Amino acid sequence: MSDSSGVSNQEPSLPSGDVPLFGVLAEYSTPQQLLAASRVVRDAGYTRWDTYTPFPVHGIDGAMGIRPTILPWIVLGAGLTGVAAGVALQWATNAFDYRWIVSGKPFWSIPANIPITFELMVLFSALTALVGMLVLNGLPHPSHPLDLKQRFLRVTDDKFFLVIQADDPSFKLEMARELLAGTSPVVVETVDEDRVTSDRLPRPLVLGLMLLVVAAAVPFGLAAKARASTSREPRFHVVPDMDFQPKMKADRANPLFDDQRATRAQVDGTVAAGELHENTAFWTGRVDGVLVTSFPEESPTSEAAVTRGRERFGVYCAPCHGLVGRGDGMVSKRAELLAEGTWTPPSDLQQDYIRTMPVGQLFETITNGVRTMPAYGPQIPAADRWNIVLYVRALQRSRATSSSDLPASQRDSLK
Amino acid sequence: MAEHPNKPALSDSDPSLQLGSIADRAVNGLAALGVVALVTAGVLGLSAHDHGRHFMFAYLVAFAWVLSIGLGALWWVTLQHLVNARWSIVVRRLGELLAANAPILALLALPLVIPTLLGNHELFPWVDHELMHSNHVLHKKAGYLNVGFFTVRMALYFGFWSWWSRHLLARSVSQDKNTATLGLLERVRGASAPGMIAMAFTITFAAIDLLMSLDPLWFSTIYGVYYFAGCVIAVHAVMVLFTLWFQSKGRLTAVTREHFHDLGKMLFAFTVFWAYIAFSQFMLIWYANIPEETGFFMERIHGNWLHVSYFLIVGHFVLPFFGLLSRHVKRHRVGLAFWSVWMLVVHYVDLHWLIMPNYQHEHASFGLLELTCWVGLASLLAAATLRRAKGKNLVPVGDARLSASMAFENV
Repeated sequence: MSDSSGVSNQEPSLPSGDVPLFGVLAEYSTPQQLLAASRVVRDAGYTRWDTYTPFPVHGIDGAMGIRPTILPWIVLGAGLTGVAAGVALQWATNAFDYRWIVSGKPFWSIPANIPITFELMVLFSALTALVGMLVLNGLPHPSHPLDLKQRFLRVTDDKFFLVIQADDPSFKLEMARELLAGTSPVVVETVDEDRVTSDRLPRPLVLGLMLLVVAAAVPFGLAAKARASTSREPRFHVVPDMDFQPKMKADRANPLFDDQRATRAQVDGTVAAGELHENTAFWTGRVDGVLVTSFPEESPTSEAAVTRGRERFGVYCAPCHGLVGRGDGMVSKRAELLAEGTWTPPSDLQQDYIRTMPVGQLFETITNGVRTMPAYGPQIPAADRWNIVLYVRALQRSRATSSSDLPASQRDSLK
Repeated sequence: MAEHPNKPALSDSDPSLQLGSIADRAVNGLAALGVVALVTAGVLGLSAHDHGRHFMFAYLVAFAWVLSIGLGALWWVTLQHLVNARWSIVVRRLGELLAANAPILALLALPLVIPTLLGNHELFPWVDHELMHSNHVLHKKAGYLNVGFFTVRMALYFGFWSWWSRHLLARSVSQDKNTATLGLLERVRGASAPGMIAMAFTITFAAIDLLMSLDPLWFSTIYGVYYFAGCVIAVHAVMVLFTLWFQSKGRLTAVTREHFHDLGKMLFAFTVFWAYIAFSQFMLIWYANIPEETGFFMERIHGNWLHVSYFLIVGHFVLPFFGLLSRHVKRHRVGLAFWSVWMLVVHYVDLHWLIMPNYQHEHASFGLLELTCWVGLASLLAAATLRRAKGKNLVPVGDARLSASMAFENV
């Protein structure tokens, strides 16, 4: 419609004789009749024509001779773009720009990246399918000549329509009428071009959409402002009763008590049930304040104890100290990769001063922690801590052994 | 067409409706091949002097494979009734015939169940009393994993599958003679809702009992769904191949390219579903990295099991994903046949990968014993299906919606 702006100034009126013809319309009662008529029109060689139905009619594509849409290829491309975007996003954030240790996992690992990649693929594909469908169909389409036809309203109900357009290169009114009359229609009518309604989108809709686009930019603007400036305002709390809960946390001040401690110490002269721990050698690694040098009776050395110790060592110690205790665990290795200078490397358990430590001190270190190593007493039962000490001793022995330690049969095989 | 829903779309005398004598030779040949292969497998198994260990594992892989086809078919027929599907009516009888193998599958489960009953713990370690009570976790599981309860559960599963599959087939066949029985179908549809719930429970627990309990310490809550995904893939592939074979003999001609397209879509969809489930299982275990869970994947990334694992990613997902993506492939007989055969083979590899690491660590192998078990069970069940098909219509001609199914077109 080249001069629609001029035409839209006309008074709304019934189409008069000088309004050009849009096409010829035929109405049918069943989808089968429409399918048959479509085959006739297709075979007559028309190219500018269409069908209108209340629901998708199976087989209409073939009956109309419509070639398969290229939309699937566009969606495939969008899906692959989503895959690439997902992988690139995660590489840039996790492996390149801001490397962060998450439970000892590699900075860059495919399994962790698959869910995001998958979701972005679905997102890109779905949005592209929707937008692509609208664009390829030439939608939105605010006005259409058929909308003025009272008869056409039933297209959303129970009637089926076929229209041959006047702009078809081989269109001749009488021939088209005759062709459609032979396809058992309910009626055949001419349709005039729409000179009444504007083919522009309604102004409120356009304004609303523009407002949405502007509003969508607001969060980005706020984020950019926050990145470029500092603020003295306290943090904004969205859910205050979750941020400020009426409870006391360990090591916080509690005004209810004189000593202000939230964590209450045990009352002097009492012992909690099952925590008498009279045998201090087993529970603390000391007897009368002196570190023990041999394993306590409750945790005798045995092969089962070493095996158990190795398993527990693998769970609790190996992530930092390494599987054989050389201070080369995964967490330590990755922390050193970050090269931030704040990492205290875990001790190599083969060092002489650790080798000659009393077992009580090893036990005490595991129990209470040392330097940046946290206390494992609350996590690992005492018997298991002793088993770990035993395994550490076994590791140390394995690294500083002489041939005289070997059984005679194996010693011979080394000669 | 649509105005006369009670008029049969196919007449009873249509020559494409019945197999007639064309499958007689195939039934005899397949049955003979199946017996010979299984006897060979039995002899090979006995001569290994390993208390039947290798035989039972190889047999279990093949059995899980044929079972997945039967269960897939039973689930599929239940689904078609449940959602009142029209497109699938021309292939529904084939699904009913495949599902009705359930009683035969129950018989063929005996070589696994009887040794277990007799206390053989080569296949299922939990049969061993001492093992179960020497380990704290296993001790806690002994209330579920014991021979008595196992037998009861097997009887329940196979009993339900046999009854439900025979019921569906009998109702459908009785409708062939009497076209004015819409009420019949409605009752079947109503029963399909609880039937579907029962299918979900029985497939899940059967997978746990027959496959997951091979390693009684390990567990995965998604395991049943994983096996189910394989069931659905297998049955669609088998339906495509049977239909193509029948059509090459001039039978079942009511199935058009449109129906093949839909079968292909289901095959494609469940290939993706399988990958989704398999990855969900892997990622949670990988991420949590808890020793009691990672054992499963540790077994499967050591030795040449690692190569099988990589093969599954490529062969069970990447290749069929791109291979079946195009509609032209799904509508092309040779293309669809190729991918159906492919999926059935990789489905076997998948089950082998699930089961055999419990037989031997670090070393994946496929030998004569595995082959004979597979050929034997597959041949016997194919023969049973064809024999059951004889004398019955290959299409449920009495279904009032058959004309809609025959005229079905994808948009």
